[in-house]
Amino acid sequence: MDLLDPFFLEALVNGILLGGVFALPALGLNLVFGVVDVVWLCYAELVMVGMYAVWFLYTQAGWPLWLAFAACLPLVSLLGLLLHLLVVKPLLNQPPINQVLATGGVLFVLQGAATLAFRTDFRSLGVDMPPMEVGEVFVSGTKLAAFCAALLGAGVLWAFLKFTYVGVAIRAIARDREVMPLMGVDPQRIYLIASAVGGALAGLAACLLVVQLDVHPFVGLSFGPITFMICVMGGLGNMLGGFLAAFLMGLIISIGGFWGNTEYSYVIAFLFFILTIFARPRGLFAR
Amino acid sequence: MLTTGTSRRGLIAAGAGLGLAASLPAQPRAQGRDPLRIGVMTDLSGPFAGAGSQPLFWGMETAIELFNERGGVDGRLVQPITADSQSRTETAINEMERLLGQERVEIVAGIYSSAHAVPLSGRFEQAKKLMWITSAIATAVLKDKNFRYVFRPTVHSDQYGEGSVAMIHEHAQAKLGMAPDKVKLAVIYEDGPYGTGVAAAIEANAKQRNMPVVLKEAYSASAPDLSTLVTKLRRERADVVLQAGYNPDITLFLRQAKSGGLRFKMLIGHGAGWSQIDKLTETFGQDVNHLCNVDPAAAQMLDWSKLQPGVGDLAQAFVAKYSEKRQVRDLPTHASMGFNNMWIFLQNVLSPAVKKTGGLTAEALREAALAVDIPVGGTIQGYGVKFEPPESAMAGQNARSIAVVMQFDNGRSRVIWPSSIGQPPVLPLPAGHAYAAR
Repeated sequence: MDLLDPFFLEALVNGILLGGVFALPALGLNLVFGVVDVVWLCYAELVMVGMYAVWFLYTQAGWPLWLAFAACLPLVSLLGLLLHLLVVKPLLNQPPINQVLATGGVLFVLQGAATLAFRTDFRSLGVDMPPMEVGEVFVSGTKLAAFCAALLGAGVLWAFLKFTYVGVAIRAIARDREVMPLMGVDPQRIYLIASAVGGALAGLAACLLVVQLDVHPFVGLSFGPITFMICVMGGLGNMLGGFLAAFLMGLIISIGGFWGNTEYSYVIAFLFFILTIFARPRGLFAR
Repeated sequence: MLTTGTSRRGLIAAGAGLGLAASLPAQPRAQGRDPLRIGVMTDLSGPFAGAGSQPLFWGMETAIELFNERGGVDGRLVQPITADSQSRTETAINEMERLLGQERVEIVAGIYSSAHAVPLSGRFEQAKKLMWITSAIATAVLKDKNFRYVFRPTVHSDQYGEGSVAMIHEHAQAKLGMAPDKVKLAVIYEDGPYGTGVAAAIEANAKQRNMPVVLKEAYSASAPDLSTLVTKLRRERADVVLQAGYNPDITLFLRQAKSGGLRFKMLIGHGAGWSQIDKLTETFGQDVNHLCNVDPAAAQMLDWSKLQPGVGDLAQAFVAKYSEKRQVRDLPTHASMGFNNMWIFLQNVLSPAVKKTGGLTAEALREAALAVDIPVGGTIQGYGVKFEPPESAMAGQNARSIAVVMQFDNGRSRVIWPSSIGQPPVLPLPAGHAYAAR
C-alpha cells in the first residue's frame, strides 16, 4: 500500500470533496430535527425543487447563473417555511410516525409534481469548470468550487448559531425545548426560523448539486438516503456530528472504492453504518 | 429510510395516468366489435423513463395506432391496457399481477429493464400467459430457462459484447496502430442483470480474441459519485472503455470522466441510456461526438431500399408518424425497438392467431409466435425473426436478431459495424476531442 501513490491521493481528495457534497443537506436536516424534532423525509426533494428552479431560471428564462443561484435560496427557504406551516405544525403534538408519514407524503407529491411539470427527462445546466491538475492528481474544478461553497455555507451557519440572538435561541431550544419557553423564547417563532434556514441550506445544496448532477424528478434518490444515514450516524440533531459523518462517509466510499471496487464501497459504507448503530445507537458523535 | 407505500403508488400512478390519458388515442370501439385487449408495460416514471423506456412506450403506441388505422385484425382494433412499472421491480410485479388478474389480459408486451424481466418471466410462464419483451436484453432472462410463453424479438446481451469487442478487434491494427492483443479494454457496468450480462459477454469475447481486460467493475446506477472509478480507469490507462449503463450513471460518468482527466481512444456504450443520443447531445454537445453505442439499428439508419418489399414503406410511415408527434432530431433506438417489436407482434402473431381461432388466447398467440418466420431485412430494424424452440437453451429468443455498432456523428448515429453494412469508423477519437488520449 503506497500512501503517496498519486491515484490514492486523488481518491482521498475525491472522498473529502464528496463529503462536502453530503455535508450541507446533512446540516440542514439535522438543524430542523434538532430544533423542531421532526424528520423531513422530503428533504432531498426540496433540494430537487431547488435544482429545477436553477435549471429553469438559467436555461429557460435566460437568467445569469449567479442570479438563478441567488433566487434559489429564498425560494427553497420559503418552501421550508410552507412545509412547516402546512404539514409539520399541525402534527407537532402527534406521534412521530404521523410526522414521518406526512413528510414522506410530501416527498411523493414533489416527485409526482416534478414528473408532471418537467417530465422524466434528465436536465443539465451544461456548466463545467476545468479540472485542476497537480502532478498526476486531477481535482474537479466544479467539485472543488462546490466544496468551498459548502464550507462557506457551514461557516456562515456556525456564525449565525454562535453569534446571533436567534442562533443562540435555536441552539438553546435544541438543547431543551421544555425550559426555553419559560425563558421567554417563543418556540413557534424559532421553529419557523429553523425551517426557513433548513430550507435555505437545501437551496444552497441544490446550487452545488445542480452543477454536478443531472436534474430529474428522482434525483433525490441519489443522495437522499445516504444523507439520512449520515445524520443518524453523526447523531440525529447533532449538527457537528452530521458534518463530520458526511466526510467520514465520503472517505469510506472513495477509499473503499479505490482499494476494493465501486459497488462494494457502498456496501462497506452501509456495513459501517449498521455497526455504528449497534455500537453507538445515538450516533458516533453523540455527547 | 424511504419507503414505498400506497401514497407514492397512488400519486405517481395518478400523474402517469393523467399523462397517458392525454397521450393515448381514444379507446377503440371497433365498430361495435370487442377490441383486442393487450397489456403494455413500460417505465413511464422513475429513472428508466428518461433512459429509454419513454420512447420505447411511444414507439409501441405508434405501432398500435398505425395498426388500428390500417384496420386492426379484420376490423377489430387493438386496445392497449397500459401499466407504469415506475422503474421499480416490485411495482412491475404488482402491475403484472393487476394486468393478468384484474384486467385478465392474455399477453403483456413491453418491459424495459432486465431487472424487471427476470422475475416477471417466471411468473408469466407459471401463469401460462404470453410475455412479449420489446427491450430488456439480458441473456439471463431466457438462458437455460426453456420458457414456453416468453418471447423476445430483440437482441440479447451476448450480442452486445460481441459487437463492441469485434469492432475494436477488427480495426485495432489499421486504426489504432496496435495489435489487438495490446489494446487494453476496461469494462464498467451497472450492477443489474442488464449490465452484468453485457459485461460478461464483453469479457468472454475479449478472452476469445486474446484482448486484455484491465478493469471490470460494477457500480449502482443510482450512485451519487463515480469519481473513484474514473481514478482507477486513469490508473489502468485503458485504451477503450466499454460501458453498460442506464441514466443518470452515464451522464454522471461522462461529466466526472472529463473533470477527472480521463482520456481514452474510444468509449463504447451498450444500449439503454446510451441509446438516447438526443439527450446526450443536448447535455454534452460535441463531447459525445464520435463516441459509439451498440444496439439493434434504429429504423432511420438503414437503407430502406435494401429491406424486404413493403418494409421500407412501413419504416417511413413510422418515422414520419413518430417525428410528427415527438420533436426529436434523431429518433432514439428505443423508439424503433418499441415500434418494431410491437409491430412484429401485431402483424405476425396477434393477427394470424385471432384469424385462426377467432379469439385471443395465450396458447394461440404462442403457437403463432413459434410459427413466425421473417427473413433478414423483413423488419424495420433490418433483422429477421425466428424464435428458438422450447428445447433450445435460449428458448423464446429471436435467433435472427442483429446488433450493430453505431457512432455518434454530429447528433446523429451511423452504423460502423458489421463492416459489411457499416461505414468506416472514426477511430481513435480525433485530437482536440474532450476525451481524446494525448
